[in-house]
Amino acid sequence: MRETAMKDVLRAFVATLIAVLVYSLAGAAGPALLIVLNAFSVVVLYFSVRRGEIFGAFLGTACGLVQDAFSLGVFGVSGLTKTLLGFWAGFVSRRIDVAPLFRNGLFMLAMSVLEMVLWVLVTAVVRRESLNFHGGLILLQPLVTAVLGSSLFAVERRLRARGSRGA
Amino acid sequence: MPIWEKRRSALILAGLVVFHILLISIQIPRGAEKSLFEKSLFFLFSPVQRAVTGVVRGVGSLWTNYFDLRGVRGENQKLKKENFFLNQDLRFLEDRLQLFRSEAQVRERLAAFQGTIVPARVIGVDSANPYQTIVLDKGSFDGVGKDMAVCDRLGNLVGRTIEPVSFKETMVQLITDKDSSVSVVSSVDGLTGSVTGNSGAICELRYVLASSTGGQPGEELLTTGYDKIYPAGLRVGSIRSLEKDESSPIFRRIAVEPYFRFNTIDIVAVITKAGSGAR
Repeated sequence: MRETAMKDVLRAFVATLIAVLVYSLAGAAGPALLIVLNAFSVVVLYFSVRRGEIFGAFLGTACGLVQDAFSLGVFGVSGLTKTLLGFWAGFVSRRIDVAPLFRNGLFMLAMSVLEMVLWVLVTAVVRRESLNFHGGLILLQPLVTAVLGSSLFAVERRLRARGSRGA
Repeated sequence: MPIWEKRRSALILAGLVVFHILLISIQIPRGAEKSLFEKSLFFLFSPVQRAVTGVVRGVGSLWTNYFDLRGVRGENQKLKKENFFLNQDLRFLEDRLQLFRSEAQVRERLAAFQGTIVPARVIGVDSANPYQTIVLDKGSFDGVGKDMAVCDRLGNLVGRTIEPVSFKETMVQLITDKDSSVSVVSSVDGLTGSVTGNSGAICELRYVLASSTGGQPGEELLTTGYDKIYPAGLRVGSIRSLEKDESSPIFRRIAVEPYFRFNTIDIVAVITKAGSGAR
């Protein structure tokens, strides 16, 4: 049990590094891709569903603060929203079954929308300015996050099934 | 059972939320220096970003060199590099010629610029909004510091360096950022104002009085140098549209299209102040 938890901590750390790298490599593809993609949210959602609300909250804090360190916004805004995202995702996934693909996608979408609403509210309060929605492009972010998150679970399930057939 | 056991999750969440609220509240009002914690995170993760970008670029370059163009590519890169410096020099030459009438002054100024350009690669883009910041692979070891102008390969203004500046990495605030401000003058009618970003693709030219005349769509905007950050004469962008501002009868509403493009800022030039940059 302890070994699995350590493995997941290491995996989460590697996933956070990968999320940082996404912003290095995807920059060349243009700003539009970076507006619709939030790699840190995908990492937080994936591991929160796997490990529960406490792990999700701590991972959300770590991912959010790293995201804030690479951004010019107020330090801590993404940290706060991702902490809550990790907690909610872990908490809800322990009480309802989110394993089926469609339900999983819907759950991820609902969580991502909640995170976005919270981010908009906190940013509006902190900066007291109107937000730039990039012509509505940013509203696609929850959808992209949900698709990527549920795809990760689908791939994991397929790999496990293949592994158990081989054993 | 103690309350900690019963409400462990809720207490941890409450602790983390309070931590974030405190973190946010100590930065308001904005404008304070970046915290040590934020700088530490940047110092910790930016070398990773730099290393992997280097590896990915290296592998890509190896693949292309070996299987594709080989010698031609090397020559092309050399020519691109030369072209990059020539474009920079040409731009500064033109600017300096306009500003200084005396030949001796022109020579003196150009000699200073030769040594003040530090070429750098972009290794990262802002994780919350790509129109706010980028990260460069040059830092304090290369002579790069805070508040230095950054141009693209054509000499168009991209932004300025801001904190955190680590040993080999630097953050750049783009002119499209909401908190950016560049003092400019229009090339034909001499409208003066401040180009401010909107955290999107289009900027605004602010503080141009409604009573002022002139200004046309397509007119070029150049830096004035009054802000003591950007050298005078750098190309910023062109006027996109001019309208009457209904919300503010004192000023005109002028939209500006910046010249720099994301697909041309893989390599940029940092204009250092001390003139100690390597070329």
